[in-house]
Amino acid sequence: MSPIPALLVLAALVVIAAAAGVVWRARDGRRRGGSDVVDLTDLGVTAGRVTLVQFGTETCARCPQVRRMLQGIASALPAVDHVDVDLTHRPDLARAHRVLSTPTTFLIGADAVLVARFNGVPRRADVEAALSELPVLQEAS
Amino acid sequence: MTDTAPAAPRGIDPRAPRFAAWITSALLLVATFLGLIGASTQTGAASFGWFAYQPLANAPLSAWVLPTTPLGVRALDPAFLLTVVIALLFLWGVLSPTTSPWSVLFRRVVRPRLAPPAELEDPRPPRFAQGVGLLVVAVGLLLHLLGVPLALPIATAMAFIAAFLNAAFGFCLGCQLYLLLQRAGVVGRGPRAA
Repeated sequence: MSPIPALLVLAALVVIAAAAGVVWRARDGRRRGGSDVVDLTDLGVTAGRVTLVQFGTETCARCPQVRRMLQGIASALPAVDHVDVDLTHRPDLARAHRVLSTPTTFLIGADAVLVARFNGVPRRADVEAALSELPVLQEAS
Repeated sequence: MTDTAPAAPRGIDPRAPRFAAWITSALLLVATFLGLIGASTQTGAASFGWFAYQPLANAPLSAWVLPTTPLGVRALDPAFLLTVVIALLFLWGVLSPTTSPWSVLFRRVVRPRLAPPAELEDPRPPRFAQGVGLLVVAVGLLLHLLGVPLALPIATAMAFIAAFLNAAFGFCLGCQLYLLLQRAGVVGRGPRAA
């Protein structure tokens, strides 16, 4: 291949990579609905509590920032717990909850129903909006 | 509340891996360019002068040249040589992240000019990603040596996309692959008694 077409291929490559990054950023952390009952086995969730369950691994670069954010939310709301689940050596849990990438965050209601699921880094406002829909927290406020 | 990593290693400045990713993506872009203009994409119809290879008289005009070139010529392709250097840098980043050249350059030259980091991060994710990068370019190098056309620029282009996403957006594609590799049974099988 001569240099000019090669440079065009490179330009296309940079454009594709940038577009992939923009799309990923836009989709990342968006709230997805859920209404399934979650099997709480091995998640460390206290039955009857509203819990933010965060799935991570040792190789998850963006989990620490999510952990800080969720801990901040949970510490401000007495009715809400934050639990961190390490999937590094738990393929069984990753499979059971269909976690394909980390960070993934579940908001689980007091009745063990999945209220919201966030794949990627959730926005703080979205997590707080999902929490405010829960009856337990409406009574408290 | 459970803590993930009881024995998490000492944190690193999160800007260091992204700084390294900028340099890596620039190197990979150059390697892809060299791959595209080099032996990897050369066909029988193209000029055969620059490494003195004469195509077979009865070969079809569009036939790839690479499968019939001697191993030494494949290994001396500039794209191959640069990708070997990149692969060695990835290997260095896996074996000893704190002494790798870009990490030293960041600590000596860049970090003194920046404000201290707001928080430190776990060094394991970028190290894992270096391993994924190494794997991708190593496959490209191997296929190139075996005479597979286009393998090298495709491998360096894939690695470029991953490095660029990390540098420009802070997305660690290699890290995202962990659970998929785990599903395939490559890493992290079975609960380990901690």
